[in-house]
Amino acid sequence: MVEVKNLTKRYGGNLALDNVSFTIEEGTIVGFLGPNGAGKSTTMNIITGYLSATSGQVTVSGKSTLDDPNEVKKLIGYLPEQPPLYMDMTVKEYLNFMYELKKVKLPREQHIKEICGLVRIEDVYGRLIGNLSKGYKQRVGIAQALIGNPPVLILDEPTVGLDPKQIIEIRTLIKSLGENHTVILSSHILPEVQAVCERIIVINNGHLVADGATDTLAHDLSQDHRLILRAEGDETEMLSAIVQMEHVVEATSLGEKEPGVFELSVEAEPDYDLRRDLFHLLAEKGWPLLAMKNSDLTLEDLFLQLTSSDESHAAEEEGSGEAGPEEAEESPEPAEEPEEQPEEQEEEERKSESESDL
Amino acid sequence: MKAICKREIRSYFSSPIGYVCVAALLALYGYYYYLVMMMGSSSYISSVYGVMFSFSMMVIPIITMRSMSDDQKNKTDQALLTAPVGVLAIAAGKFLASFFVFFVASTLGLLPAAVMSFFSSPAWGEVIGNYLGTLLYGGAMVAIGVFISSLTVSQIIAAIGTFAVSVFLMYIDMLASNLSNAALSKVVEWISFNNRYTTFTQGMFSISAAVFFLSVMAVFVFLTARRLESRRWG
Repeated sequence: MVEVKNLTKRYGGNLALDNVSFTIEEGTIVGFLGPNGAGKSTTMNIITGYLSATSGQVTVSGKSTLDDPNEVKKLIGYLPEQPPLYMDMTVKEYLNFMYELKKVKLPREQHIKEICGLVRIEDVYGRLIGNLSKGYKQRVGIAQALIGNPPVLILDEPTVGLDPKQIIEIRTLIKSLGENHTVILSSHILPEVQAVCERIIVINNGHLVADGATDTLAHDLSQDHRLILRAEGDETEMLSAIVQMEHVVEATSLGEKEPGVFELSVEAEPDYDLRRDLFHLLAEKGWPLLAMKNSDLTLEDLFLQLTSSDESHAAEEEGSGEAGPEEAEESPEPAEEPEEQPEEQEEEERKSESESDL
Repeated sequence: MKAICKREIRSYFSSPIGYVCVAALLALYGYYYYLVMMMGSSSYISSVYGVMFSFSMMVIPIITMRSMSDDQKNKTDQALLTAPVGVLAIAAGKFLASFFVFFVASTLGLLPAAVMSFFSSPAWGEVIGNYLGTLLYGGAMVAIGVFISSLTVSQIIAAIGTFAVSVFLMYIDMLASNLSNAALSKVVEWISFNNRYTTFTQGMFSISAAVFFLSVMAVFVFLTARRLESRRWG
């Protein structure tokens, strides 16, 4: 459906995208991940025809953006990072304008009404866009992208500025749209990508660093396949029993986590699923198994691992206004904090430095 | 193009900009009309229009200043450029909308002549000539203004830039007469908008002048479209 081949984009001497290629099949929801300034928005802008690539090509439904720009544009609904809203128009006027601009052939009244129902903006239909809250503006932006019912939807951070309830609504909406649309969305909110997308593409510093199904990407990329388990029993006895098992490479204790309960880390041979054997062993010996999980990378770990190679570059980019409250609420995992904070601190330091220069 | 033009016109008249521009022009027209007709008891209606024209030149930069720069600033150009519309259609739509505001003001500027016609018979040839000349010259200035507006995200810079260009063009004849180099002076004279405009004010319709102004409009609409396109390569 969407094919991106060897895409390179230069802004002067700055290489924003370097030889990025991927193909997205019809009817999938793909998440674009990456730190600020990684090239997500640039990629999206090129696919939609807002920017042109320095080299490389994009085809949508077999049509090239270079040869058939208007045909390609008809196939794509785009919500840019900042929704392209005219503040001096009412929602009604704006959606009608977009309807005319996109030369849509569908029955006008019914089509616009349907979209308003989908993104829940019927209440503000007659109001000036300039007077709407950020959440409503964002939804009008999504509505605008849906006009004409394009088969491909490209959404740049669609849930920014929404409250948690709206975020869930929009995610549900995107998921349902994914049933008969190809959706590409970018986000900093990792659980969101995990919840909505079937496939993840990670871009860092203009390079494509990972591409795969959401469920397996973390597993495939983690270098060790250890099991972390908690069992009640004698620490040394348990360890020696586990080490003697077949297919076990190494077993170490991570210490006593609850009274009499120890956390153990067990490394199995690659590609061998040790979980059942472990269960049987522990049951036999009468050591209650209280918890067991794969030590696979979480999406946060993955994100950090893939993108941490050039923190300094990320800090150079524009400050992230996106680190809004909903992000904190969405990701209780502390793993994200070390990523965000140093970046912002550096940003602030940089600002104060430049101010003192003045 | 139609959708963009419609939206722009609506935007001019849903904010005070359109009304203020038209009202200011008409107020100045009326004031000058009063001065010339009543105090000077002159019947030279074409001289009234001649001055009205310089008033228009001051208002055009205000009309065109936000035309392209606003889109760039508010990122609404992303909606336009990712819609199945060519850059030329975008530029033409913007130009037509700005021109429409100027057209409304100029057309309402015919009111003094209409009022006059109740009491005597004004020289309609001259009046219509002035009107057409103003529309053509103004149209060329609007196209230049829209182009300058596409060069910057700042409305103020766009307005001042357009104003400077329009004043420069108004006095380019003086420059031509002061140049010692005959060839250069000829070239500068050829650019002169005023020479061509004056033909109209005498009640004559000059096809070559009309073609000149229409070409200027076309060239600057085209340049605006190129400018939009070039931003994609930024």
